Amino acid sequence: MPLTISETFAVELQNVVKRYNEIVAVDGVDLIIKRGEIFGLLGPNGSGKSTTLKMLIGLVQPDSGSVNVLGVNVQNDPVAVKQLVGYVPESPRLYEFLTGIEYLDFIGDIYSMQTEEKKNRINEYLKALQLEGREGDMITGYSDGMKQKIALISAFLHRPKLLIMDEPLSALDPRSARIIKDFLHQLKAQGVTTIMSTHVLEIAQAVCDRIGIMYQGKILALGNMKELRQMAKLPDSGLEDIFLKLTGTGDIRAVVEELLK
Amino acid sequence: MNWKNVFSLMQVERKSGRLIRGQKVTRYRENRFLAYWPYWIALGIGITGGVLAGFIYDSATTVNPELFSLFQEGTLSIFFSLPTLVLVYSLVFTTMKQIRISGVKTSSQVPYWLPVTWQEHTMASIFASLMGFPLASIVFITSVITVFSVFIGQIAIAVLTSLAVVAAAFMASATTEILRILQVRFIGAIYKSSGRAAVWIRFAGSLIFLLLFYVIYFYVTSGGGITVVVALASAQTSAWFVPFVWLGIALYSVATSGLLLQGFIFAGLSILFIAGLFFLATLLNRRFGLYEPPAITVSRGAYVPKTGFLGKLGFSKIESAMLRKDLRAFTRRRELMTIFIIPIIVSLVPLMQYLGQSDPTPTPLFTIYRATIFLLPASFMTMSLGSFMIGEEGQSVWRIYAAPISAKSLVKSKYMFIVFFSLAFLVVTGIFGFIVYQTTLVYTIVACLEAVFLVFALGAISLSNGIIGADFTETPRPRMIRVSWSFVNLGACIAAGAAVLAPLFPYALSAMLSGVLPDFLDSAILDPFISLSLSAVIAVVLTVIFYQIAINNARKLLTKAEV
Repeated sequence: MPLTISETFAVELQNVVKRYNEIVAVDGVDLIIKRGEIFGLLGPNGSGKSTTLKMLIGLVQPDSGSVNVLGVNVQNDPVAVKQLVGYVPESPRLYEFLTGIEYLDFIGDIYSMQTEEKKNRINEYLKALQLEGREGDMITGYSDGMKQKIALISAFLHRPKLLIMDEPLSALDPRSARIIKDFLHQLKAQGVTTIMSTHVLEIAQAVCDRIGIMYQGKILALGNMKELRQMAKLPDSGLEDIFLKLTGTGDIRAVVEELLK
Repeated sequence: MNWKNVFSLMQVERKSGRLIRGQKVTRYRENRFLAYWPYWIALGIGITGGVLAGFIYDSATTVNPELFSLFQEGTLSIFFSLPTLVLVYSLVFTTMKQIRISGVKTSSQVPYWLPVTWQEHTMASIFASLMGFPLASIVFITSVITVFSVFIGQIAIAVLTSLAVVAAAFMASATTEILRILQVRFIGAIYKSSGRAAVWIRFAGSLIFLLLFYVIYFYVTSGGGITVVVALASAQTSAWFVPFVWLGIALYSVATSGLLLQGFIFAGLSILFIAGLFFLATLLNRRFGLYEPPAITVSRGAYVPKTGFLGKLGFSKIESAMLRKDLRAFTRRRELMTIFIIPIIVSLVPLMQYLGQSDPTPTPLFTIYRATIFLLPASFMTMSLGSFMIGEEGQSVWRIYAAPISAKSLVKSKYMFIVFFSLAFLVVTGIFGFIVYQTTLVYTIVACLEAVFLVFALGAISLSNGIIGADFTETPRPRMIRVSWSFVNLGACIAAGAAVLAPLFPYALSAMLSGVLPDFLDSAILDPFISLSLSAVIAVVLTVIFYQIAINNARKLLTKAEV
C-alpha cells in the first residue's frame, strides 16, 4: 500500500508567513521534514528560527500558509499535535515553586501517562542526567543546567513522536550533552523525529541529518552537509564557513579589525 | 559616590516597572516628559491644591480676621506632623513594594558584576523603593505646602518642612532596605534548619506578616489612622528618644522662637541617624547582598506518585495535575498569599467592631450587617482567585500552551480550584460567624447558602474576566490581571452579587424600615427558602452563562498562545 504524505513526513510547512507589526519574522517558508530525521535549523539571531519552531506546536499562529505536524493540521487540532510532540523552549521558565519531581509528575499527568510508567521513566531520566538527590528540592534553587535537564526530561517523558527543541544543549555539562546527543540518535532509530535549533554549529554538524539555514525569515539553504557544501561552493569546508558564506556575514576579519582600532 | 551610576541604576528600576503591554516595543523611544507622568500630575494637583487653600485662607481671614491666628497655628501644627506622617507612609509603601516584588527572582536587581560600588547600589535601591506612590506623594505634599506658604507668609518654614519630608522618606526607605536584607538572611537560616517544614513555616510566617502589615496599612491609610498619626506627631517631643521623630522635633524647635539650639541639635542628630541607616544598609548589602536563600528540600527518599484521589471525584489526570499544581502555587508563592489577606481582614474588621461595642444587642440593621461575615470573605476570595487564576501562571504559561490541555479542562480545573478554596474558606468564616454572632440556624443556613451561590456565580464571572484580562508580566512584580480588567471584574461581580442577593431584598427592606414605617412586609408571609430558591436559579443561570464564556475565552487564549 502506498504511503500517504502524512505517513512519510513529520512536518510540512507550506508558504508560511508570520509578521510582528512591520517585521516579517517568517517569510513564505516551505519545509518538509521526514519521519525519523534529525533536522537542524540554523540562522543568525532574529532570523525566524524560534518563531518557526513555535508555529510547529501552535505557540504562534501563522498569518498565512499551513502547518501540518504528523499528519495533523496544527491550527485545526492543536491539542492532538501537542499530545504527540515534546517541546523544549529557548529559555524554559519552569514552575519554580515545585520540586523537580513534582514538576515531572505534573508533566506525566498532563500527558496522561500511566502511574507506573511515569514513575519508572522519571527515575530513569533523573538517574541518567545525575539529578538524583536534588529531585526533592524546589526548582527555584536549581542551576540553569539543572533546569535545562528538567526541561529536557519533561520533553522526553511521554515518548513523543516529534521533538521540537530550541537550543536544547545550552547550559548542559559535557556528559549530559553527550547523553542527550546519543539518546537522540537512539530515538531516531525508533522513528522519532527531532527538530532542533542551535547556534553551536559543531553540534548541528555532528547530530543532524539535514540542516536548514534561515536568514531574514526565509530558508536560504537546505540539505545534508554534502549538499550544503555544494550550494556554498566550499567543497572541503565545515559548517561554520558554509553558514557565514550563505548568510553573507563572512566579513569577520574586517569587523574584528574595526573593533581593534 | 558616583551619582551618575546611582541615577542610571534608578532608571533601570524605573523602566523595569513600566507597563509595556500595548506599547510599541520595536523602535521604542521613551518620551522623557510622559515617563514621569505620576509626578507631574502630583505636582499639578499640589500646586492647584495650594492655590485653592490659599484663596480659602485669604477669603476666610478677610471676612473674619480672628481666623488668622487659628489658620497660622493649624498650618504650623500640620507642617510639624508631616515628617512623621511621611515617614510612616513611606515605610508602609516601600515595604509593600518589597512584598510585591518578593516573588520575582529574575528581578530588576542591579547587575552586581558591573563596576558599581555597594554604596551606589544601596543608594539607588533606597531611592528606587521610593518611586511610584511615595515619591508622588512627596511631590504633592512639598508643592502644596510651598504654594500655600506664600499665602500665609511661612515660606521659610515650608521649605524646611519640605526638606524634612524628603529626609523622612529617605529614612523610611533606608529602614525598609535594612529590614529587607535582614529578612532574606534570616529566612535563609530558617529554611536551612527546618528542612521539609520550611514550606509551612514560610506559609504561616508570610501569612502572619502580611496580615499584620495589611492591618497597619488599612489603619494608616484610613482617616482614623491619619488622625492618630497627626496626634502622635504633635506629641513627638515627648518621644525624643525615638530617632525617627527627631526630624519633626527639629522642625518644631526651629519654627518656634527660642529653641533654635535644640532645633539644630535634633537636625544634626537626624542627619547622623540617616547617615547611620545608610551605613548599616550598605554594610548589610556588602555582607548579604549576594546571599541567596538555600533551596527548600520538600521531599526526600524514593519518589512515589500520588494516587488519584481527585480522579475519584471525577477529575481527569490533566485536571488533577492542574489542581495539585495550583494548590502548591498558592501555598508556596509569597506574592499569591496576599489573596488570603483581604478576606481575613474583611472577616476580622466587623468582628472587632462588634466586640468593641458597649451594647452588642442586635438591632434590625445589625441583622443585615452581620450577614457580611458569611457573604463577603468567601466572595472576595472567589473574586480575587478568579481574576488571578490564569495570570498567576506568569511567564511559565508556555507550559500550558505547549501541553495537550483543552480549553474545557483548563477552565474546569481552574474553576474547581476557585470553588474548592472559597468554599473551604466559607466553612471557616461560617462557623466563626455562627459562634461569634450567635445567629439562628435558619439565618446561618440562608446566609451560607447565599454565599455558596455567590461563590459559584462570581467564580465563573471572575474566571472569564481573568482569562481575557490575564497579564503574564512578572517584572518587577507579577501583575496577573490588567488594571482595566480588574475594574471590569469588580463591576461585573458587584452587579452579579446584587442580582443573586436580590430575592433577599424584601428582608433587608423590612429590617431597615423596621420602626420607621408600618410593618407592610409581614415577615410571616416571607419565606426565606423561596428567596433562596430564586437566588439559586439566578446563580445557576449566571454560572452556566459565564462558564461557557470562560471556555470560549480560554479557547481564544490557547489558540493565540503567544508568549
